[in-house]
Amino acid sequence: MKSLASSIALVSILWTSGAYAADSFPTKRVLSLEAATRVAAAAQAEATRRGSTVVIAVVDDGGHLILLHRLDDTQVASVEVGIGKARTAAIFRRPSKEFEDQIRSGRVAALALPGATPLQGGIPRVVDAQVIGAIGVSGNTPQEDEDIAKVGAAALR
Amino acid sequence: MTSMLFMLTSAVMSASPLGAQYAEHKTLTLDGAKRAIAAAVAEAKRSGGTGVIAVVDDGGNLMAVERLDDTFAAGANISIGKARTAALFKKPSKAFEDIIGKGRTAMVALADFTPLQGGVPIVVDGQIIGAIGVSGAASAQRDEEVAIAGAHAVETSPVGASAPRVEYFPSERVRDSFAKGAVLFDGGGTNYPVHTSRRESAGQAEVHLRDTDVIYMLDGATTFVTGGSVVGGKTIAPDEIRGAAIDGGDTRRLAKGDVMIVPNGTPHWFKDVDGPVLYYVVKVR
Repeated sequence: MKSLASSIALVSILWTSGAYAADSFPTKRVLSLEAATRVAAAAQAEATRRGSTVVIAVVDDGGHLILLHRLDDTQVASVEVGIGKARTAAIFRRPSKEFEDQIRSGRVAALALPGATPLQGGIPRVVDAQVIGAIGVSGNTPQEDEDIAKVGAAALR
Repeated sequence: MTSMLFMLTSAVMSASPLGAQYAEHKTLTLDGAKRAIAAAVAEAKRSGGTGVIAVVDDGGNLMAVERLDDTFAAGANISIGKARTAALFKKPSKAFEDIIGKGRTAMVALADFTPLQGGVPIVVDGQIIGAIGVSGAASAQRDEEVAIAGAHAVETSPVGASAPRVEYFPSERVRDSFAKGAVLFDGGGTNYPVHTSRRESAGQAEVHLRDTDVIYMLDGATTFVTGGSVVGGKTIAPDEIRGAAIDGGDTRRLAKGDVMIVPNGTPHWFKDVDGPVLYYVVKVR
């Protein structure tokens, strides 16, 4: 009887600790398609305002594509470059320009980083100090690409 | 002289057909691609609501992609691959899945090739202007159905080719149209056809799976039944069901000046008509 009681006590300890573990999974915010659509719309408006033809790519925190829009008359090569910039910003959690700057200032080894497109124009979207995704823009000058990406990223509050 | 004339002629001949050296080909715009995706998303939401939809141009280059919430991440690349395959091989990607399935395994060696059901070409005026690929819907079959719905939206209303026009119908034409009951505006590829309808006696029970009817009663009176279930319903055309009567539902008396909105999928029936009943319908699709 006593052993049964202690078994029950043991079970309830295990149960409690199990519940504790379940509650202790940290959560993260994720980018929805709706949010990505808002980002792209803001970026497209900015590109149109500047008369720029660009590709706008939005990826999630894993660097995987959620949305891409290639504006009419944009060079097709910008599709891969745009995705690459967004992916770089997302998985390295910083603007892709940082790598372009590193290489320009002599750190050629940064070219060897796996999965990186070290070209200006990718901007991470940070919410509560967490990167939830990124936007990459390609098709125009590096500075304009980045400016447009920033406008897109800023569309989310 | 002869030789000069010959030279002149050949110069003219080689110059004038210059234009003929270039064929005209329609192209898809980003607006068109977005429209295809919107239609595909609507179709995907009929089953599960997940999927990635990619639209490529006739060179197989990506124009637009959208991944619905909760769709597996790898689906983006698969959908692009299916669309590319359909565009560059000018066939639904299922054709190649079938060929390989029947034993031609060697075909998987082709480079840049996604032989999986779910990619279909977008064809306007007999020309392939691009393709749409879908991955991550409820099944491979649904992937293809969602893609077809997207392609259809562009094919029936080629955005890259022409924008909707302003339409004008003078009163005599509208009157003539009501005199016999007719389609005033067939929609011309838009989503808002207009009917000038006339009814002398009771109609059949109707269900439009696609069109929502916005009805404005201009003359006469009728008993109008909505909802309930159609008795002996048969599909007489795509998205159109007709039956002998409606069981249950709500019954109203409609007369001149009344407006009714009947959402798509809702059975409705002009039951007892004090004719002629004239009514104006905008069909929203």
